[in-house]
Amino acid sequence: MLPCPAPPSGLSPSRLSQPGDAGASNAVLFRRLFALAWAYRGRCVWVLAQQMLLVALALTGLSLTGLGIDVMRHRLAPESVTPHWPFGLAPPADWGPLAVTALIAGLILAVALVHAALRFVASMSAGRLVQDIVVDLRSQVYDKLQRLSFRFFDENRSGSIINRVAGDVQAVRLFVDGVVIQVLSVLLSLAVYLYYMLQVHVPLTLACLGATPLLWVGAVLFSRKVRPAYKHSSELTDEMVLHLSENVQGAQVVKGFARESDQIARFTAANRAIKDQKEEIFWHISLFQPAMGFLTQINMIVLLSYGGYLVIVGELRLGEGLFVFANLLQQFANQVGQVTNIANSIQTSLTGAQRVFEVLDAPIEIASRPDAAPLKKARGEIRFENVDFGYQPDEQVLEQIDFSIGAGQCVAIVGATGAGKSSLLSLVPRFYDPSAGRVLIDGRDARDVQLDDLRRNVGLVFQESFLFSNTVAANIAFGHPGATREQIERAARIASAHEFIEDLPHGYDTVVGEYGSNLSGGQRQRLAIARALLLDPAILILDDATAAIDPSTEHEILAAMEQAMRGRTTLVTAHRMSTLRRADLVVVLERGRIVQLGTHEELMQEQGHYYEAARLQIVDDESPAESGAAA
Amino acid sequence: MKARVPYAALTVRRAEDRETEQRPLEMRLITRLLAYTGPYAAKRNWLLLMVAFRSIQLPGLTWLTAAVITGPVQSHDLRGVGLGVLAFTALALSTQLVMHFRQRLALELGEAVVYDLRNEVFAHLQQMPMSFYNRTKLGRIISRMTSDIENVRIGVQEVLFVSIVQIGQMFLAAMFMLWYDPTLFLVVLGVAPLLWAVNKHFRRRLSGALRDVQESFSRVTATLAESVNGMRVTQGFVRQETNAELFSDLVADHSQYNLNVTRLQSAFLPLLDLNSQLCFAALMLIGGYRVLYLDGAELGSLVGFLLMANLFFSPIAVLGNQYNQALTAMAGAERVFNLLDSQPEWTDAADARELPPIEGRVEFRNLSFGYQRDRLVLRGINFACEPGQTIALVGHTGSGKTSITNLIAKFYLPSDGELLIDGHEIRQITSDSLHRQIGIVLQQNFLFGGTVMDNIRFGRPEASDEEVIEAVRKLKCLDLLVDALPSGLQTQVGERGGSLSLGQRQLVCFARAMLADPRILILDEATSSVDTLTEARLQTALFALLKGRTSFVVAHRLSTVRHADQVLVLDQGRIIERGNHFTLLAADGVYAELYRSFARASAA
Repeated sequence: MLPCPAPPSGLSPSRLSQPGDAGASNAVLFRRLFALAWAYRGRCVWVLAQQMLLVALALTGLSLTGLGIDVMRHRLAPESVTPHWPFGLAPPADWGPLAVTALIAGLILAVALVHAALRFVASMSAGRLVQDIVVDLRSQVYDKLQRLSFRFFDENRSGSIINRVAGDVQAVRLFVDGVVIQVLSVLLSLAVYLYYMLQVHVPLTLACLGATPLLWVGAVLFSRKVRPAYKHSSELTDEMVLHLSENVQGAQVVKGFARESDQIARFTAANRAIKDQKEEIFWHISLFQPAMGFLTQINMIVLLSYGGYLVIVGELRLGEGLFVFANLLQQFANQVGQVTNIANSIQTSLTGAQRVFEVLDAPIEIASRPDAAPLKKARGEIRFENVDFGYQPDEQVLEQIDFSIGAGQCVAIVGATGAGKSSLLSLVPRFYDPSAGRVLIDGRDARDVQLDDLRRNVGLVFQESFLFSNTVAANIAFGHPGATREQIERAARIASAHEFIEDLPHGYDTVVGEYGSNLSGGQRQRLAIARALLLDPAILILDDATAAIDPSTEHEILAAMEQAMRGRTTLVTAHRMSTLRRADLVVVLERGRIVQLGTHEELMQEQGHYYEAARLQIVDDESPAESGAAA
Repeated sequence: MKARVPYAALTVRRAEDRETEQRPLEMRLITRLLAYTGPYAAKRNWLLLMVAFRSIQLPGLTWLTAAVITGPVQSHDLRGVGLGVLAFTALALSTQLVMHFRQRLALELGEAVVYDLRNEVFAHLQQMPMSFYNRTKLGRIISRMTSDIENVRIGVQEVLFVSIVQIGQMFLAAMFMLWYDPTLFLVVLGVAPLLWAVNKHFRRRLSGALRDVQESFSRVTATLAESVNGMRVTQGFVRQETNAELFSDLVADHSQYNLNVTRLQSAFLPLLDLNSQLCFAALMLIGGYRVLYLDGAELGSLVGFLLMANLFFSPIAVLGNQYNQALTAMAGAERVFNLLDSQPEWTDAADARELPPIEGRVEFRNLSFGYQRDRLVLRGINFACEPGQTIALVGHTGSGKTSITNLIAKFYLPSDGELLIDGHEIRQITSDSLHRQIGIVLQQNFLFGGTVMDNIRFGRPEASDEEVIEAVRKLKCLDLLVDALPSGLQTQVGERGGSLSLGQRQLVCFARAMLADPRILILDEATSSVDTLTEARLQTALFALLKGRTSFVVAHRLSTVRHADQVLVLDQGRIIERGNHFTLLAADGVYAELYRSFARASAA
């Protein structure tokens, strides 16, 4: 397995923040979010313009209805205030009232039609904008992820990384449509309504809107009070789910130790904690909602009493005044109610932005140099030249590594866990770069050749053979999706995998279960070897390929490994004496340093670490093999 | 999606992963759900009362508004306006008071039902046998407990009560309109079916479109998850470009599905509104004609009518939405109830007795066993072991080693034959009393969240700190668990034991079993190799743990096998050789052959 060092004590640049870490300041995040919105400014303005047109149309429809009422009222009670035709566009005086009413009804209908059509258009352009931003962002983050080096994946949990692409990206785009556009839209709508109302009657407008600021204050106070409570609630829920998932995953342990009743008591406690905490939230909600509802109704009470009075004394029209006002007050309350949503959106998008920008900003450590040379087909000579390496600057994992092997030779790396074997191997395909010294491929510094070319020349078999949920054939063809079935089968044959693949329910088209669950460890590892051989690489790396395998099936893949090594430069970590014997060079590592170097026979003569280790393996009691296993 | 190259796709998804999101209303499910509100009947009945109040109050407010505008305001009656406003204020206050209780009671009722359901599901899970856990995905169980129960909650706390308010409101609004002007009401009634049809049409298409969105999103996340988990492979095999193209196709595809939903919504809501606008225009024309040319019709009625028409239309969309919620709740309820109804294939016999303290003698008598009826994995197993013996089980993957230990722990029942623990037939004793005298160490070394101390104490929760430390001391690994960990036994175990090394995790599991001090120990040796030094320490700890108790070890290490009192070599569900390491070597059979091939591979 490639090394996964413990999270460092200091903050490394590629480590993403965890919940609770202090992140970038809000000012910085805001600036970048605005920059994102600015990139789509043309379309934002377009969406906003449509929204405003909609507000204007709605208002027109409403005042036309009011006008209709006034026309009728005037006709019935000629002493009442005359209807007010906008822009003085009154119909000719000789039209009958029915014709006028019909005209107004027609106009209302026309406006309604245009309004509905425009709403469709506006909603679609907002939708398209949102989707385009999400697609752009997702692809951008995914591309970035693929270029990040192994260190990044060592240091961050996959769940956290996945969420950044799947969920947090949505939170970021929310800033564009849920904050920027929304704020402008609310402000502009309020301004339009206010303008209209002031035109009609200034004192009534002010009186009716008197309680509105309270709505605003109430909304802000509520979200301040309840948001932390909701956050706590979801933490409690997470705890409950964690408890459940551990219980299920550890079912055998729970049952084996007869701990069921104990587990039920713990779960009930976690469950009760959620319930008790929720009561508090419920109390707040059931106080807030009626209070806000009543505040809106106060506006209505003012309108009815003061507005009613004004109509009676003839200062206000019934339709255009009272009727339209009653409707507008509702709209006003709705828009002000948006404040809570906007506040939530800001919070959500800031959190999301921090998490997404962290990925976009993570440094790319390994990349081709601009002047890197192509490497079509390597010969396979490898030289480590005084190489030092550490995952953290202050911590050396490899020191002064210096050896070389010729094309087609096999080098076996030996050493205890943590001695640096995997680290050494991971320097060849440049998963990491040395902190000092050079790794030379065919006499050229690995950093001077095209990264992709270099990696195509290196076949890799990892300790844990990660297979994708796809067919066997597609898994083998992973590195070369255009491969033919013949190429795939040839690779499978060399890896002694062809026979068992043929025996699978659908042969090469069998879908490997999630994370390879329906294949045995040995079979998976042989698929991994076939995958590595497909491109016929000059260099082959076998990193502890047998470690995760049931020892009783280990011999299955030893043969495959033997065949795979033929004709390639091979670097292999080894415990097996058989492998060590046939290696052209054995490198003995201890705490990151080479303590011995030579062939198996030479090293056995030296009476050093190697001899001791070999003896320890061989001479436990009277058995010749200890690290291996029985049957 | 443009799939040009034959093997380019990253993942293939199988149909079985999907679950239905809605199912039709079913009386059986509804009555069962309602039964869960039984313990909270007082709450539920008060809530019903509140809801009934509300369905009167809402139209009442609108009626008052209309009455004030068209009555006293029209007739220039200042006092009347004042009275009207007072009445409005009083009604508004009472509405909000009712709203407070309606809201609180509903939320509390929903939470109470959810709380009971969760406890019931968890308790039920504890009774399910291992076979259930082996065939059920964790994700499934978690979604029963989270999203499904949440959907049930909405069903319990919203659907019924919201629908009552809305239907009541519609009904009253209709009555008012009928009272104001029966002819105009017919016009409204004419539009209502149209609205209903539009609603139904769009709801159906929307739910289809939303399902597509969810499916495409799960394709996106599945691909994403594999991309991230397999990133080392991707970079090692230089697949970035292919994957990036695939992913952006997938994302673009997903956004098309999203746009489909947007398109439907963008058409649906304006259409609903347009409908009522259309109705308004017609009302104005017809109503205007009547007001102007017919006697008896009043402008006031027209205004009141228009306001009531609004009140009549708005519940249609809400009810449609509630209906949808109800279908979702049905699907959730069905799945939760299915889980609750799933019966273990077997339970302890009714006459099963407590197992008295045992010595640890285990005997298999002509025992056969299969996980499925027709496929035996163990046949004719006969052996006996004395208290304190170590029995090593040896054989290829699938030879039946783990099945033997599963039977001793009574995780499964034998299909045929007998299994005796100190002479008690295993079917005749309670699982619980057996488990209290058994200890288990699994291959995966499963650790729970919490401290190392908590994990060890899992073996015997009432043990004191000293007893825990004593257990670790007996394993001779105080230094590895106490000194080597940053906070000693108080060190937090990370996700899946991440902050502990493989060897340390194994030791914690050993200590857990040591603390439980069982008469019978079942141990599945870890296969992963650790370095030689740690390996030696693990062996020492293992022997300390095995000492003095009957132990069954699924063995992967030669030294373990060599120290065993009995070695059972299994092949295809039968014991093909038995003895100890030395007699088996001397017998020169299968074991000796296996042993030699490994010795060759390792050392040759």
